[in-house]
Amino acid sequence: MPDSIKSLGGALRRATRERLTFNGRNHSVLILSLGGLALSLLVRALTPDGYEFPETLAKRFDLAGAVNEAENWLQENISFITRAVSEFMGYWLEKLELFLWFAPWPAVALALTLPALAYGGLGLGLFTFAGVMCWGLFGMWDAAMSTLSLMGVSVIFSAILGILVGILCARSNRTEAIVRPILDTMQTMPAFVYLIPAIFFFGIGGPSAAVAIVIYAIPPVIRLTNLGIRQVPATMIEAADAFGSTPRQRLWKVEIPQALPSIMLGINQTIMMALGLCVLATFIGAGGLGEEVWKALRRLKVGWALEGGLCIVFMAIIFDRLSIAMSTPADRRSLYDPSRLRFRLLPQKWDSFAPARWIESVIDVLWRKAVMISGAVAGLSAAAAIAAKPLIGEEFAALLSARMRSRHGLLTGGVLIILIFLWDSWISGIGTFPRDWTISIREPADGAVAWLAVNPTFIAFTTGTRAFIYLYILNPLDNFFVGLPWWYVLAAFFVLILVSVNWKFAVISVLAFLFTGITDLWGVTMYTLASTIASVSVCVVIGLPIGIIAAHNRTLDNFIRPILDAMQTMPAFVYLVPVLMFFGGNPVTAIIATVVYAIPPMIRMTILGLRQVPENVTEVSGSFGATGLQTLIKLKLPMASPSIMLGVNQSVVMALAMQVITPLVAGLGLGKEVFDAMNFADTGQGLMAGIGIVLLAIVLDRLTQGWTRRQRQALGL
Amino acid sequence: MKPLHILKTGGAALATSLMALVGSPVAAQGVLTAPVADWTGGQVTCHILQVILEDELGYKVKRIVMPAGPAIWEGVRSGDMDFGCEAWPSYNPISREYVAELGGDGSIAFLGEAGIIGRSSYYVPRYLVEGDDAPAKGLNMLADLNNHVDLFKTLESGDRGRLIGCPVAAWLCEDDKRLEANGINFTAVELGSETAHWAEMQAAYNRGEAFVAYAWEPHWIHAALDLHKVELPPYSEDAFPATGWSEDVTFNYGNPNMLTDHPEAAAVITNSYLTNEQQAGMILAIDVDGRDIDEVVREWMAANEDIWRAWLP
Repeated sequence: MPDSIKSLGGALRRATRERLTFNGRNHSVLILSLGGLALSLLVRALTPDGYEFPETLAKRFDLAGAVNEAENWLQENISFITRAVSEFMGYWLEKLELFLWFAPWPAVALALTLPALAYGGLGLGLFTFAGVMCWGLFGMWDAAMSTLSLMGVSVIFSAILGILVGILCARSNRTEAIVRPILDTMQTMPAFVYLIPAIFFFGIGGPSAAVAIVIYAIPPVIRLTNLGIRQVPATMIEAADAFGSTPRQRLWKVEIPQALPSIMLGINQTIMMALGLCVLATFIGAGGLGEEVWKALRRLKVGWALEGGLCIVFMAIIFDRLSIAMSTPADRRSLYDPSRLRFRLLPQKWDSFAPARWIESVIDVLWRKAVMISGAVAGLSAAAAIAAKPLIGEEFAALLSARMRSRHGLLTGGVLIILIFLWDSWISGIGTFPRDWTISIREPADGAVAWLAVNPTFIAFTTGTRAFIYLYILNPLDNFFVGLPWWYVLAAFFVLILVSVNWKFAVISVLAFLFTGITDLWGVTMYTLASTIASVSVCVVIGLPIGIIAAHNRTLDNFIRPILDAMQTMPAFVYLVPVLMFFGGNPVTAIIATVVYAIPPMIRMTILGLRQVPENVTEVSGSFGATGLQTLIKLKLPMASPSIMLGVNQSVVMALAMQVITPLVAGLGLGKEVFDAMNFADTGQGLMAGIGIVLLAIVLDRLTQGWTRRQRQALGL
Repeated sequence: MKPLHILKTGGAALATSLMALVGSPVAAQGVLTAPVADWTGGQVTCHILQVILEDELGYKVKRIVMPAGPAIWEGVRSGDMDFGCEAWPSYNPISREYVAELGGDGSIAFLGEAGIIGRSSYYVPRYLVEGDDAPAKGLNMLADLNNHVDLFKTLESGDRGRLIGCPVAAWLCEDDKRLEANGINFTAVELGSETAHWAEMQAAYNRGEAFVAYAWEPHWIHAALDLHKVELPPYSEDAFPATGWSEDVTFNYGNPNMLTDHPEAAAVITNSYLTNEQQAGMILAIDVDGRDIDEVVREWMAANEDIWRAWLP
């Protein structure tokens, strides 16, 4: 059987490649897609409306009931284990939270700014300081400290556990094969499915939230640790073995250090994902910035929610940039021309502008002074360390003083932080962020939303957009997919995946779709498919042109970059209410909210793909007399297509992740099933719908990845 | 130990000792945990109890912000939270599973009626029915909706009117069945969350659009928007959902351990009884005048000492 399927796939692929070539050009993809579409439309036209998955199959298995039984059993029998875990997590969480709450605020600000300054330079340092100040100025200092401690504890646990599992995966292919699908599931399983059941096992508030965050955010560390260790050059391992290192030495002295940049990237992604969950964590009482957003939203205070959202955005961007700066070696310094003033804040290419030079020379003087002072502090401490030689041993004293001198900035900062603490506890209390230092954007933000919501021109625009998306995209797709006979959908996906991925995955996908059928979720799954395709097509239609323009225009690029950052890290809850006020309560609002969330990778990957096209390609094409538009369409876009396809892939995955959020604003489909199940506290039903989303995500992810790979092969990359 | 290790552990030790320097400030004695309700009325009810428990009985009440719904019930059931105030049976189908008095397994204790009576119905903005050129004059009863189908049509509802129904499926409002049973040519939409429900009403109201929506009293939306009630057929158990809703008799609840471990606190919660009229003034002060809840509650308590003193055991 497998062999015959395999050969069928091969034959199909050969046929498409060889037979459909006319005039020396391969039209296979075009012809096949048109043919497939025509066939599907024909089948749809021939089947009556309301053709459904056979009820005898759909109602036969009560999987949801079995899950609920299992949950009851687990509640009675393993709660004591999970409670011990959460007590352990809760202990550290509480310690850190109380510490941050009662620590003098300048010490906290300095402790965050200092590494940013040391690793990311003046720009990142200033940004970090401004972000931290915003937490205080928006009146959310305590909330930010809670979120910070929740992030800290869950990221540290994720890192420790993730690196361990990653090492195990790198050691054995079998472990990796077992772990990989589990990671896929953890990443795509909607948190709403396990958030409520988690309460009975792990309690309310922080500990439960930390567990949920670890589940959701650990996969990148595991994946990238595994990848990093596997990519260590074999010659290096051989050399280590040749020098007689034990496996343990090899791991800690060769493999881990070599894999460190990769591991850091994994931790970076883990931090981002963890922050993504911090609003959802409010659903189980975790407090922090998410609570501010939730409190604001339930009273429709958009401005207040926006401030909370911005605090989260700042936190995300700070940690993102900092962890990236820490994982990339700093060798840029050598590139600077010593005869010119080295710019620390502004772009170096601005050095032809006098005002930029003035600003930078002031910064330069201050910088040098700071370096001098911190050098002096370090010198003093180093001298003290040398003087303490008899106490701590010669070797250690030498090392200590050398370290102090080489990292004088961090040392001085540390001394400063300790001084602030001493000042706070012995001289005069500094305490938490002063209450009367505030800035607020609540009123202008509320005003803007209220004004837009009644502005006739804007409302005419939103009404038109909504009507267009509903009448011409969502409704036809919905009718089409929901009306297609189930056996046809199965067959179509089978062929599609057979051609684009491989026969094994084609069989798995068919089983996945059958699963949604037998759990009585066929119709909603098809609706989810339709609305995902609708959202992603809107992403492509809007994102591709923006990406193309931004790839050719630096100003636009610089302008949209921070907006894209904010769109990706801003909790969706913040913009759900304004989007609903503008577009009204209907499924299109859900699509619009999904587009806002899922469009950034589409734009980013388009820009990246076009930028990566070598300069000389455009030059050659220009010298043959091609116009800019011709070069773009015939050369650059095809060459950038793998990257653009990757953007589509990420948009698809993100659109599916958004499926569980959109039910809050009238979204339908599998996400709504999850959400309703949560409200009924029906874990079984929620899990079934959650698995449906996971399966859909995995199938669509592999499918689009398969297309990307074929595109790369076609281009010989 | 290598010098480098000593350096690193030294740093960690320093950080930990700094943490110890700050220390934990709260003595953990007699702490009760309760959720903060999503709605002002529930916040008022619970805040009064919090003040009594703290000032009269010497407890410390820790409040946790959580969206209303099953999460709170799971938290009270597992004992992470001790009690909750003013549960509305309609919006908490899960209470029927856990509260013995409502037919549940008794894993959550019933701590007396809260006193607040909830009344649900459909509402339209007053500008639709009052004024000289009001488009839906005389829209008072459910059956009157059929005279104004065109006014309430939308893209998705086709040639039927659109009713903004109960936002959450789990509330079992059965809006569509009610419309069908009464021969109303409308379809109900479910916006998925309370937040979306109120946002949709607020935005449509600001634009002066026509809408008919599910809502209940007491609720802050009536302070924000001027709404007119559409009368539903009076509730009858046999005919529901063709009729309107029964009155929601709200109640307080807690973990069963409350009764044994904190009998005095449980008694205060059980005895407490706040009527709609008593609550209304406070809701207005908080929602309309934007005053601080603690201030408003303490003011009311100072003026009505005889009411709440009677709840003390």
